[in-house]
Amino acid sequence: MMDELDLLKKDWKRKEESLPKLSYDEIYQMTWKKSSSIVKWIFYISIIEFVFWAVLNLLSYDKESLAQEKEWHIFEFSTVLTIVNYVVLVFFIYKFYRNYRQIEVTDSASNLLKSILRVKRTVTQYVWFNIAIFCISLGMFLYGSLTFGKESEQIQAAASDAGNETLFWIMVVGTIVVVIAVIVSLIWLFYKLLYGILLNRLRANYRELKRLEV
Amino acid sequence: MNKELEHKFVTELETHQNIVHKVCSLYTSDPDAHNDLFQEITIQLWKAYPKFRGDSKFSTWMYRVALNTAITLYRKSKRRVPTQNFDSVIFKIKADEYDATEEQQLKLMYNAIRQLGDIDKALVFLYLEEKDYAEIASTLGISEVNARVKMNRIKTKLRTILNP
Repeated sequence: MMDELDLLKKDWKRKEESLPKLSYDEIYQMTWKKSSSIVKWIFYISIIEFVFWAVLNLLSYDKESLAQEKEWHIFEFSTVLTIVNYVVLVFFIYKFYRNYRQIEVTDSASNLLKSILRVKRTVTQYVWFNIAIFCISLGMFLYGSLTFGKESEQIQAAASDAGNETLFWIMVVGTIVVVIAVIVSLIWLFYKLLYGILLNRLRANYRELKRLEV
Repeated sequence: MNKELEHKFVTELETHQNIVHKVCSLYTSDPDAHNDLFQEITIQLWKAYPKFRGDSKFSTWMYRVALNTAITLYRKSKRRVPTQNFDSVIFKIKADEYDATEEQQLKLMYNAIRQLGDIDKALVFLYLEEKDYAEIASTLGISEVNARVKMNRIKTKLRTILNP
């Protein structure tokens, strides 16, 4: 008896006759169409992210806030933070560009998947870095306003009036931590959904290839 | 880009388009998606073409780009309008050429292949295209031994479907 798989092979060959056939012109038209590949999506999303965070940093940079920072004695710290921020931004853009250039559609499937996921990881690291900077800035401004701000004396007084000063401060810090946690988890959820939709299949295929190599 | 290069590319792709159609028929299930994927593969091939050195055969190079596009780059379109059973278009089974059991067996096997994961499909595809294990392994980026082991598992699976 003929092996079933040989039967399949034979049939597979025979089926070539019933495949669609595109003309020269139809194929020619296609070469002018725009790609809608995952890599393109990741590229655009990454650019948006870089621009978004950079603009967010620029927006908070005006004369008024500079004066405020000086008044709150956080000007030096804030300047250092801004410089670090932009140095790191340049580093990430370089890293992103280098990794992006390494994506080769003629690579093996395993390497191609790896390089795409690497690009995505760079952007994720950049987002986490920004969240960290955001938390540090928030802490810095709260420290400045509570220690040197106009209402600081009233707040301090309120704290001692409340009787239990430690409890008062624990509550203040606790509220801040909760607010930061909520913001961070919202951002995290957003990314989880965004990249989940985009990369689920890619990740699954990469895992499958890795599993074969064990 | 240069006209001459484009003409050469389109001519080569026109000659070898069967390879792309076969990949599309394995990874999509309706004519619209088939065309979408065909177009994406064409774009990817064309983008990579200037770097194609000719040190491998055009068709060999195509297998790689086509499969990579299907496995990694292609985003399945959301619109799922089941216009007709696509199998009947692409995988037309001419009843008069087969006896009933063969036809039945093939149907079962094609159904089983359709349900495989993306990577397994790629393995079966290259196997059906009579590629050797060295080429299968380098296309997927796994070792030859592992490609062989995995293919044997799939073969066994297909056989059990036919002889439960």
